[in-house]
Amino acid sequence: MHIYILEEKIKLKLTIATSLKDLLYGGKDKMLTLSNVSVGYNGINVIKNVNMHVNYNENLSIIGPNGCGKTTLLKAVANILPYSGEIEIAGTSIKKMKHKEISLRIAMLTQMSGIYFSYTVFDTVMMGRYLHIKDKLLGLPSEADKEAVLTCLDAVDLLEQKDRMITTLSGGQLQRVFLARTLVQEPEVILLDEPTNHLDLKYQIELVEYLKKWASEGSRVVVGVMHDINLAMRLSDDILVLKDGEIQVQGKADEVITDSLLEYVYDIDVAEYMRESLQRWQCIGENNKNLSVPSAI
Amino acid sequence: MKAKVIVTIVLSLVIIVIGVTFGSVWVPPDTVWHIIRNKVFSVPLPESVSQTSVAIVWNLRLPRALLAFIVGACLSISGAVMQSVLRNPLASSYTLGVSSGASLGACIVIMFGVTLPFLPLMTLPLIGFAFGLGTILLAVAFASRLDGQMENNTIILTGMVFSLFVNALTTLLSAISREHLQRLVFWQMGSFSARGWTPVAILAPIIVAGLLYVLHYNRELDMMTFGEEQAKTMGVNIKRIKWILLVTSAALTGSAIAFVGVIGFVDLVAPHIIRRIFGSSHRYVLPMSAFFGGAFMVICDLVARTVVSPAELPVGAVTAMIGAPFFAYIYFGRKNKA
Repeated sequence: MHIYILEEKIKLKLTIATSLKDLLYGGKDKMLTLSNVSVGYNGINVIKNVNMHVNYNENLSIIGPNGCGKTTLLKAVANILPYSGEIEIAGTSIKKMKHKEISLRIAMLTQMSGIYFSYTVFDTVMMGRYLHIKDKLLGLPSEADKEAVLTCLDAVDLLEQKDRMITTLSGGQLQRVFLARTLVQEPEVILLDEPTNHLDLKYQIELVEYLKKWASEGSRVVVGVMHDINLAMRLSDDILVLKDGEIQVQGKADEVITDSLLEYVYDIDVAEYMRESLQRWQCIGENNKNLSVPSAI
Repeated sequence: MKAKVIVTIVLSLVIIVIGVTFGSVWVPPDTVWHIIRNKVFSVPLPESVSQTSVAIVWNLRLPRALLAFIVGACLSISGAVMQSVLRNPLASSYTLGVSSGASLGACIVIMFGVTLPFLPLMTLPLIGFAFGLGTILLAVAFASRLDGQMENNTIILTGMVFSLFVNALTTLLSAISREHLQRLVFWQMGSFSARGWTPVAILAPIIVAGLLYVLHYNRELDMMTFGEEQAKTMGVNIKRIKWILLVTSAALTGSAIAFVGVIGFVDLVAPHIIRRIFGSSHRYVLPMSAFFGGAFMVICDLVARTVVSPAELPVGAVTAMIGAPFFAYIYFGRKNKA
């Protein structure tokens, strides 16, 4: 009897949760949907008829060779580049949204460009609160805005550097500043264009783990353009492979990534590459064996 | 930061006072104070203050120093905005053709003796302003048609092409009518002499309104220095704000040079020096550039009218001659120390 009541309670909770989700998002599990999206420059389509979707709390990594259109695709979703076709967030076309609404729901970490003028780390991250700051006349941030900035700086391990000028930071630190600025926008969708550029191994792994945690809290997704397939697979179960502006495959990484696919997409000899990599790892393994470990350890 | 702001404002006021007291005849600061109180608040003048001093201060030096200050402030704010909007440390209204357009307008007025029916004395400034602003509007509109995204490089290149074309028209007109050439050349050199209170009365509200208006966009300007894509993803309506800021800063430059002729350099250096002292936040860069540029222009004008007195040097040349080494000292000197 008790078990039956418990099951009923769980069912009821699930029904309420599903109804709320239906109410909020039109009964769809798809957070981000692209239908027949094409993007081009000067009349030439770089992205050709792309159809894809990302479900709630499920991230997506996009991989592909240089020039295949990965960044262009992200820029179309971020409303930076004009496109044809349909892009929807939670069932609503972004063409029907005002620019500010799009920026409140989608944030993008673009690739770094030159810094001409210097600001403090804190001020740079505060720029991400642009649409949240209520004082439109003077643009003065509230305590809540300041708190949000400090939380994001803490998340990227830069809290102690908050008063430093960004021109004095290393490439990796700067990348983390821009990541904090993206996070502080509090969007539903985060688009990341090669986010692990300039980061050392520790921060690459920490970044990916943080993003996974971020996406799992609330109705959020992360779409990342990655060059490192290992990191791509670490960020998301789903992988999308692009070549020449067309999707080659999208699905669970362990199901769709094959030697033949990589050979076709990247034009490399995967077997040879793997053999070389293995040899290097074996060397590292041998070195580890020969290490004289201090007795105290 | 607050201390730096107060020092800059106080120094600027002191420099205006110096600009009024110094010249062919020395007028002590307390005399200047008595004259201002007399004229503004009708407080009786002490016996010791002569009518000559009153005429020198009230009719000549004070309006001149204030005009120099306002013009310097207009040009500096305009330079700061242009550099950030176009993300180019060398950009200015002049790059986009404001000075070329204003020169063409002045050339037409001088060569053909054009006078406006109700405002004959304002003909040169008004037509200069209209041509200056018209040139930049045409250039930006053309750039917008060429490139829907209004990329900075497209705007700069289009502005330069328009500027060169309009310069060529001015040269052609000058070649046809050589007897007016000297007046045109003097106008182009820039001068604050014998302008009276009228331009001060017209430009004072323009500079206050212009500064407050661009200051309203200080956060957008900060974000635009990181590039348009980044600013756009943070929610800035780039195309609209770019139009507003380009036209406002061109109007500020156009208004200033319409009364005093083409004066360069201050718009380039003032914002750079201010960024060195106050950082890049436009909340400080815009007002402090105004104070610095204004004070700098008062000093340049003081030098221009005293060094070879009773003759005068063209103030445009003085700004560059004082400004270039000063800029090099501030910019590169501090860099080396760092």
